[in-house]
Amino acid sequence: MNSHRMQHVVPASIIFGLALLVAYLSFTQEPASAFLFPRIVAVVFVLLAVWNFIRAATGLAKVGRGLAKQDSVNLLPGLVVMLVLVFWAAKALGFYFSSTIAFFLVYSFYDPAPYSSSQDWAKRAGVTLAFMAVIYGLFALVLQVQTPRGMFI
Amino acid sequence: MEFLLYFGGVFEPLALALLIGGTIGGLILGATPGLSPTMAVALLIPFTFHLTPTQGLILLGAAYTSTVAGGAVSAILLKIPGAPANIATALDGNAMAKKGEGARALHLSFMASGVGGIIGVLLLIFLTPVLAQWALKFGPSHLFWIAILGVTVIGSLDSKSFVKGLLSGCIGLWLSQIGYDDIQGAERFVFFDALSGGITIIPALIGLFAIPQVLDMFAKGRMSAAIESIEVPKYKILDSLKEVVSSVRALSIGTVIGSIIGLIPGVGGQIAGLVAYDQARNFSPHREKFGTGHPEGVIAAESANNAMVGPSLVPLLTLSIPGSPTAAVLLGGLLIHGIFPGSDIFDKHPEVVWTFINSMLLGQILMVIIGIYTAAWAARIAKAPIPILAAAVLVLALFGSYSVSQSMGDVQIMLVLGVGMYILEKFGFSAAPLVLGLILGPIASDYFTNGSMIATAQDGPWVYFFTGPLNIILVALVIASIGYSFWTNMLRSNFVDDKEVAQ
Amino acid sequence: MKTFLKTALLGATALTLMASMSLAADYPDRPIGVEVSYGAGGATDFQARIVTIPAGNEDILGQPIYILNKPGAGGRKGWNWFATEAAADGYMMSAYNVPHFIAQGIKGGVKYDADSFEPIANWGADPAVVIVGKDSKFSSMADLIAYATENPGKATTSGAGLFVGHHIAALQIEKACACKLAYIPTKGGGAAAMKAVIAGETLAGINNLSDAARAASAGNVKILAVADLERHAFLPDVPTLKESGLDVDNASVNFRGLMVPKDTPQDVIDKLATQVPKMFAHKRVTQKMKQTNSPVKIMDRAAVQAMWAERKATLTELLKGL
Repeated sequence: MNSHRMQHVVPASIIFGLALLVAYLSFTQEPASAFLFPRIVAVVFVLLAVWNFIRAATGLAKVGRGLAKQDSVNLLPGLVVMLVLVFWAAKALGFYFSSTIAFFLVYSFYDPAPYSSSQDWAKRAGVTLAFMAVIYGLFALVLQVQTPRGMFI
Repeated sequence: MEFLLYFGGVFEPLALALLIGGTIGGLILGATPGLSPTMAVALLIPFTFHLTPTQGLILLGAAYTSTVAGGAVSAILLKIPGAPANIATALDGNAMAKKGEGARALHLSFMASGVGGIIGVLLLIFLTPVLAQWALKFGPSHLFWIAILGVTVIGSLDSKSFVKGLLSGCIGLWLSQIGYDDIQGAERFVFFDALSGGITIIPALIGLFAIPQVLDMFAKGRMSAAIESIEVPKYKILDSLKEVVSSVRALSIGTVIGSIIGLIPGVGGQIAGLVAYDQARNFSPHREKFGTGHPEGVIAAESANNAMVGPSLVPLLTLSIPGSPTAAVLLGGLLIHGIFPGSDIFDKHPEVVWTFINSMLLGQILMVIIGIYTAAWAARIAKAPIPILAAAVLVLALFGSYSVSQSMGDVQIMLVLGVGMYILEKFGFSAAPLVLGLILGPIASDYFTNGSMIATAQDGPWVYFFTGPLNIILVALVIASIGYSFWTNMLRSNFVDDKEVAQ
Repeated sequence: MKTFLKTALLGATALTLMASMSLAADYPDRPIGVEVSYGAGGATDFQARIVTIPAGNEDILGQPIYILNKPGAGGRKGWNWFATEAAADGYMMSAYNVPHFIAQGIKGGVKYDADSFEPIANWGADPAVVIVGKDSKFSSMADLIAYATENPGKATTSGAGLFVGHHIAALQIEKACACKLAYIPTKGGGAAAMKAVIAGETLAGINNLSDAARAASAGNVKILAVADLERHAFLPDVPTLKESGLDVDNASVNFRGLMVPKDTPQDVIDKLATQVPKMFAHKRVTQKMKQTNSPVKIMDRAAVQAMWAERKATLTELLKGL
C-alpha cells in the first residue's frame, strides 16, 4: 500500500510547492494593486493544497491511478512528434508540410497493420494526403488563415 | 406580433439560400475545434460586404446560432468542446458516445438546442424593452458576485474528489491571471516571453481537452487499436424526441439559466452551459448518474447555451452594448452596414432587424433538422481507427490554436497545458473545473478591480459590494451554493472518502 | 514511404523556389494582414475593416487585406506581439491608435515605443468627448468641474483604459481645472465605458466622439464637451473644452492609421505609403465611413511621422509627473 500512497504524496507536494510559489509572487510583486485578486486566489490555493496534501499523506486520496509505466512508454514516440512539431517544425518547415509529416509519422507508428505490406503504406500515405487536403481547403482556401511558411509551406 | 409582418423577407430565394448555407457552414465551423462562434462570425464579416445589410445579418445570425450548436458535435464525439459554451456538453455527451450512444446524444443535443434557442429568440422578440432595462442593472459589483457564484460550482463539477475539483479550479483561476492585467496593464506571472500575452481561452480549451485525448490514444500503443473502435448504432429520431419532451426539468432549468446569463452583459454566456449543468444535477433525482453518460446533462447544457443567443442580443440591439464577444462582432457587422443599434432601431430599420430576428428563429429550426440528419453520419467519426483519430486531432489542435490569433506562443501554451493536464488527470484532477476557473478568473478579477476603484471614489468597498437588493441576493446565492456543495460533498460522504473508490 | 517522401520533398522544394523568386518587386503576392489591438466590433476594428475593403483592387494593392484581432490590456497585448513577433516583410501591418501606443511606450512596461514602428498613413481622427447620463444633474462642463472641485476624487469618470486617449483627456482636464476626478478604466473598452455612463455606474465618462454621437442621438447620454481645438462637424452645438474654460488641447484625439514593424524593407514601405492613402480615399471607403458616422482624416506618411513626433513630445511632458 505504501507505493500507492507515495504516488499521491508526490503530486500533492508538487501542487503544494506551486501554491507556495504563487502566493510568494502575489505578495511580493509590484504594483500591489494589480495583485489584489491573485492574492485572494493564492491564499485559497495554499489552503486547498494543504488539505490535499494531508489527504494524500494520510492515505485518504484514492482517485486517480497515476502514470502507468507501459502507458508512458507507448505514448513517448507520439509525444516527441508533438513536441518537435509545435516547438520547432511548424514554424521552421511550414505548417502544412510539417503537419503532413507529423500526421504520417503518428498514423504509421500507431497503426497496427504490418509494416511489410506496401499496400498498407499506400493506405497510410493516401489517408494523410486526403486529410491534409481537407485541412488545406478549410483553413487556407475557405477561411484564408495565413500560417507560417517556413522553409516549405 | 410585428415580427410576423417581416417573415416574407426570410423566404426570399437569396435570403433562404444564405440561411441554409450559413447554418450548414456554421455547423461545420462550430464542430471544428478552435473555431469558436466569435471567430466564425468574425471570419464571415468580409463576406457580408457584398450583401445588403439584411442579407448580411441573416448570414451572421444563422452562423451564430449554428456554431453554438455545432460545437456540441466535437464535444460529444471527441470530448473536445468546440467553444467554452460546449464544455458541459462534453461531460455527459462524450460518456454517452463512449457507450455507443453518440447518435442519440447528438439528437438530444440538437433538439435541446433548438428548444432553448427558440425560447431565447422569442424572449428577444416579445420582451426586449423590459429586459433591456433589467440588463443595465448589473454593475461591476454584481458581475463580480456572479463570477464568484460561478466559481462556487467548481468543486462539484465533473470531479471524483471534491478537494481536487476545487484545486483544479484554483489552478485555473491562477492561470487566468497570467499576462497583462486587463485594466491596469501590469504584467503578472510572466515567467517567459510566450506568456506575456496571457493564456487565451480557445487555445487553452483545445490543449486541456484535446491533448489529453490524443495522449490517451497514444498510450494504448500499437496493438489494441483495432479492438477499440466503438459501434455506433442508429437511433430513432422519434425516440429522441420523446426523450427530450419528457425531460422537462432539465430542459426548463437549461433554458431559464441560459436566458438569464445571456442577458447579463459582461458574463458572456460562456458559462451558461456549465451553470445549467450543475443546477440540473442538483435538482435531479438521479444526481449520481451525471458524468456517466446521463442524457439530462446533455439536454440541460445544450438548451442553456442556445437559449443564451437571443437574450444576449437584447442589450446589443437596444443600447448598443454587446453582451458577449460574439455579440460585439455582430455589432461591428451592423455598424459596417450603417445600422446603429439604439432604442429606436425597431422604428428606424424594422425590415432589417425583424428579418434578422426572424432568420434566427427559422435558423434554429433549420439547425435542428440539418443537425439531426447529419448526426448519424457524423457519429461515425467516433468509429475511425484510433491512430487516424489521434493524428487528426493533433493536426486540428495545431491549426485551431494557431488561427485564433496567429501566434506560435498560443500553440506552445496549448501543448504545455495539454501535457500538464494529462498528468494531472492521471492523479484525479479534471479539466472542466480548471477551464471554468480560467474563464471566470478574468471576469472576477477585473470587476473586482473596477468595482474597488468606483467604491474608493464613493462610499467604500463594504457599501459598494454588500448593499443594495441585487448584491444581497447574489451574496446569499453564493453562500447557499457553497453551503450546499459542502453539505453534499463533505457530510454525506462522512468527511473522508472520495466519492468513488480508486479504480 | 520513400517514394512518397521524395515526391513530397520535390513538390515542397519547387514551391520554395517559386516563393523565393518573387521578391519585393512583386509585393504583394499574397493577402496582407492588419493586426487590430482591440476586439472585433469596436470602433478601431470596424473602421479598419471598412478602410481596407478596396485593397484587392488592381490599382490599389492587388491583394485583399484581412483583419486579425489581438485584444487585451488596452492594446498592449496586440502591439507587443506586433513589435516582437510579426514578420517585417510587409505582409503584416497593424492599426495604430495615437496617443494610446505612444503613451504606453513612454509609461513603460511594454516592448514598444514610437520608434518601434514605421507609419504608413492615417485614416481617421476621433476626438474624445465628455459625456454624462441622460438624467444626470450635470448639464455643462462647469457643473462637472464644480462638483469635482467640491468633492475631490469623487467624480467617477469612465474611460476605455489606462494611457489611452480617454485617460489622456482626463489627465489634461485634471491639470487644467486643478481638481481631481476619479478615472475608472473599464474592462471591455469603449463600449463598456459607455455602458457605465448609461447605467449610472459612474457619474461621467470620456468616450469616442463617433460612439458618443450615436448614443446621444439615441437619447442615452448628454455630451458636455469635445477635447479638440475646434468644434466637430458632427456636433456643432457642443463646445470644446477650451470654450468651457479648460485649457485642454487636442493631444487626446484618437488618430487611427496603419503601420508596419521597424525593419520592413524600404521599397515595401514606399509602395504601401503611396498606395494606402489612395485606398483610404477610395469612393467606397469614404461613402461607408460617412454612412457609419466615422470621422475621416487622411494623412500621408510624412504627415503622420510629424504628428507622432509632436505627440511624443507633448505626452512625455504630460506624463512626466505620473
